[in-house]
Amino acid sequence: MEISTAIAPFVRASNNVFRDMLDLNIHKGQAEAEGDSFISQGFTVMVGLTGGWEGWFFLDMSQETAIKMANLMVGEDYHSIEEEEVLLAGAEIANIISGNAITDINNINSGLNIRLTPPSIFAGNNMSMFNVKLNACSVLLQSDIGNVKLNVVMKEAK
Amino acid sequence: MDVNHINAFITGLVEVSGMLGIGSLTRTGLSKREKLKTENEVNIIIGLVGDIKGNVVLSMQEKTAMNIASKMMGGMPVNEFDLMPKSALCELTNMVSGRSVSELEKIGVLTNITPPTLVHGHNLISLISQVETLVVKFAAEEGEIEFNIATEN
Repeated sequence: MEISTAIAPFVRASNNVFRDMLDLNIHKGQAEAEGDSFISQGFTVMVGLTGGWEGWFFLDMSQETAIKMANLMVGEDYHSIEEEEVLLAGAEIANIISGNAITDINNINSGLNIRLTPPSIFAGNNMSMFNVKLNACSVLLQSDIGNVKLNVVMKEAK
Repeated sequence: MDVNHINAFITGLVEVSGMLGIGSLTRTGLSKREKLKTENEVNIIIGLVGDIKGNVVLSMQEKTAMNIASKMMGGMPVNEFDLMPKSALCELTNMVSGRSVSELEKIGVLTNITPPTLVHGHNLISLISQVETLVVKFAAEEGEIEFNIATEN
């Protein structure tokens, strides 16, 4: 499967999750090739994929956007990225998006049987993500709280 | 978290580093991870799915990472943390987790692993899985290595 086709279910799932959970409309950009590494905007949640596909799903945004998203989701007023709840809120969103997307993919492609790892969160300045021998594909989503980037890297398992 | 699972990962790291010639790796500590901040610039993460679910992260400072990469490539000097050392470190993590997974299989725990991803950055904050993270510290000639294990059954 082409990676640009593979990212479509993730975009669809994000659209639904942002609308239903955060009451945000998103404007989606074009799928772009990223090569084997990409620079984070400051806050990245990563969910691993195993089974018929092997790779990662990244939800990447700036730290301000992550805080705004946590505020919207929890209804609290967080100010710092170092508060654990902000990280957990981001993880939960990524978990739901990847869960929905993978359910779709597994339903359409019977036998693929992709499974997800629990999400991990990284935040920092000038952070880069490197995936050896894999190609990433990204879609930029614009919303009222800032830009959120979806990034999928995967290969079909042998 | 089962102590046998932790042992499998420790065995994996010790055996692979011995094979690659990483100098006198010794275990220096075992603790729960308490803070989110990490001073280590280089973090290589691998996901696990199956009988145990979670993530393991090999984490170290940039200097250590370059020393290890240099050792892996037969003593070739590594002055910059570019694609070559990054790729070497990913390969190291891949071998460690591959070895650990086969070690787990021996005790009847079946798991699948994801490809490694290297996260490089300064002043990082990280939360690995959402369970308690165990940190196993190692010291080698090349520097200190931290092995973060966050798994759930």
